[in-house]
Amino acid sequence: MTDDPVLEIENLRISFGDFEALHGISFSIPKGRLVGLIGPNGCGKSTMMKCISKLHTGWTGSIAVDGNDTSRMRPPDIAKLVANVPAEVGSMYGVSVMDMVMLGRYPFVNKVWWESEDDERIVMEALKTFGLEHYRRKQVSLLSSGEKQRTLIAKAYVQNPKLMLVDEPTSHLDMKYKLEVMEYLQKMARSDMTVMVAEHDISLMARYCDLCIIMKKGNIVTIGNPKEVITEDLIRKVYEVEARVGVDTDGEIYVLPKRSVQPAGAPEGGE
Amino acid sequence: MIGMADSGSRGKGLIDTLRRGFRSMNDSIGPENLGKSEIKTKKKRFRIILVAGVFFLAVMFLVSISISSGGIIPITDAFSSLISAISKGGEDLTTEELYVFSSRLPRVVAAVGVGAGLAIAGCMFQALIRNPMVDPYITGVSSGAGCLAVAASTMLASIPVFAGYSAYIIPVAAILGGLIAFAATLLVAEGAGGSATNYILSGVIVGFAFSSVQTVFLSLNKDNLTNVMWWLYGSFGNITWENAFLVMIPALGISLIAMLWAREFNVFTAGEDQARLLGLNVRKFKAVMMVVASVLASLCVAFVGVIGFVGLIIPHACRMLLGSDHRLIMPASIVLGAVLMLFSDIIARVVIAPLELPVGAITAMIGTPVFAYMLVKRGREYDG
Repeated sequence: MTDDPVLEIENLRISFGDFEALHGISFSIPKGRLVGLIGPNGCGKSTMMKCISKLHTGWTGSIAVDGNDTSRMRPPDIAKLVANVPAEVGSMYGVSVMDMVMLGRYPFVNKVWWESEDDERIVMEALKTFGLEHYRRKQVSLLSSGEKQRTLIAKAYVQNPKLMLVDEPTSHLDMKYKLEVMEYLQKMARSDMTVMVAEHDISLMARYCDLCIIMKKGNIVTIGNPKEVITEDLIRKVYEVEARVGVDTDGEIYVLPKRSVQPAGAPEGGE
Repeated sequence: MIGMADSGSRGKGLIDTLRRGFRSMNDSIGPENLGKSEIKTKKKRFRIILVAGVFFLAVMFLVSISISSGGIIPITDAFSSLISAISKGGEDLTTEELYVFSSRLPRVVAAVGVGAGLAIAGCMFQALIRNPMVDPYITGVSSGAGCLAVAASTMLASIPVFAGYSAYIIPVAAILGGLIAFAATLLVAEGAGGSATNYILSGVIVGFAFSSVQTVFLSLNKDNLTNVMWWLYGSFGNITWENAFLVMIPALGISLIAMLWAREFNVFTAGEDQARLLGLNVRKFKAVMMVVASVLASLCVAFVGVIGFVGLIIPHACRMLLGSDHRLIMPASIVLGAVLMLFSDIIARVVIAPLELPVGAITAMIGTPVFAYMLVKRGREYDG
C-alpha cells in the first residue's frame, strides 16, 4: 500500500434537468485500498461511479485516475484504467462464463479477431482465482447469484484496472456469498488494485473496507477509517435511523438498526 | 458432469462436435479438459465450420442443379452439363445444358446469397436488440422492403422513363423501404422504452402496416396472381443471370464484411452499458450495424420476395450449437443459411412438380415448429 492517489476528484457536479445529483464533491483515494461508498438510496453513489467511468457525461469538475485526466480520454483508454462491476446484467442468452470473462480483455486486443494465448492465460488465471474454472463453459444465465457475481468481478479483474468500481455486489447474496465476495474484493485491493464498492450493508463495509466515503444527497458527509467515522450520530444524520454501533469481540464494529427517526415536522405514524 | 464419462471414446467428426456444442453450454468441465485452450478449440470449430460448410454447400449445389420442377437428372450428368456449358461460355447450349446453366444455376447462386444474407441480418438484429427471437421479418424490415419493392415494380416500371432500369430501381426501393420500416420500428420501440419486447411489438405493427400497403399495391396489379404469391411468400422463380449476381455479390459481400465486427457483437451481448465501459462506441456501432442489417435484409427481399424464418432459426440454431461467440455464430449462419435456402428451394421445386411452391412457405413450414420448440425450451432466458 502506498499513499499515492489513484483517484482524485475535484468539484464534481452533475445535473439531470433541474436536479443536481452531485453538488461539487472533492476527495482523493490512495492506491491499494478497499473503499466503501455508503449512503442512502439516491444519494449519488452510482451517479458518481458512472461519472468516474464516463458512463455519465456532462459533468463538470475534474476526475483523474492514476494521474490521467479522464475528461480528455477516449472510452477504450479509460477501460484500461477503470473497470466496472454492475449491480446486475440483463439477459445473457447463451454467453458462457469463459466468454463473459474474456470480454474484459476487449480493450487490449481490439485490433485482432482472436485473443492471444496471453489473454487466455490471464483469463484462465482469473477463473482459477475466482473458483470458476470448472464452470467456464456454463452459461452465465444458469449460474447462482454468487457465481454470477464472481464472473462479473472476474471480467473486471482481467481488465487489470487501476481502479475497480463495484456497484452493490452483495444485494442478492446470502451471508456466505456476501462474505466471499467481500473477501475477493479485499484480496484484489491487497494486490494493488484499488476497489471502490457501493453497498448498503454498513457492518460488512466496516469489517472489510480500509476507507469509507459517506454520502448524503449528492454531498460527501465524511471520509475516513470506518472504525472511526461510523458512529450512531452519523447513522442518525445520514440515514435518519436510530442504530446501535457496537464493537464485536474481535474488535470489528457492527451496526444494528433499531428504528427510523421521524424527520422534524413529519406526521406521527400509526393509528 | 453429464457426458464426461464417454469423452475418451469420442470421435472427431462433425456430429460429435455439434453434440459437444449442445452439451458444453450446460456442463461443468472435467479434470481432463481443464487445461485445454478454449481459443484453440474455437479456432478448430471455426475450421470445421468452414470445411463442413463448403462440403454441404457443394452437395446442395449439385443436388440443386440436378433437380427442377421438370424432373430429376443424375448428379453426374448435371455436373458434366454445367462444365460443358461453362466451357462453351454459355453459347450454343443443348437443352440440358440450357436448363442447368441458364435456369437452375442462377437460382442456386441467388439462393446462396439470400440464405446467407438473411441469416446474417437476423444474427445481427438478434445481437443488437439482444434477443434471439427477432429477425428481419419480425423487425418489420422485410415487409417495408417488400412493400416499396412491389410499389416500384407496379408503379414505376409502368412509367416509360424508368422501364429499362427496373433491375436497379426495385432493389433501391426495397432498401429504402427496409430502412424506413426499421426507422419506424426503432422510433416506436425506443419511444416505448427500448426493451427487446418493445422492438418485437413495434416491429410487428410496422410490419402489418407495410404488409397492408403492399397488399393494396398487389391488388391493383391483380392480373398477375402468381406475382402476388411470389412477393408474399418468396420465390427464386424470377431469378435470371441478370439479377442473380446482383443479389448474390452484395448479400454475400456484406455478410462476410459484417463478420469482421464479430468481437464487437460479442461485447454488445454484455449490454450497452457494459459495452460502452469496455471501450466500444455503442451508439455509432449500433446505428451503423442496424443500417447494414436492414440494407442486407432488404436486398434479399428485393429480388426474391419475403422469406421468413431463415433469419430467425439459423442464427438461433447456431447459438444453440456453438455458444455465444459471434466469431463462430456468424460464419456458421452464413453456411447454414445458404444450405437451408438451397434445401428449401429444392423442396419448393419438387413437391408439386411441375408447379413450384413459394420457397417462403417451405422455410415457414420448417421454421414454425422449430421456433415453437425454441420458445418452449428456452423462452424464459429471453425475457427482456
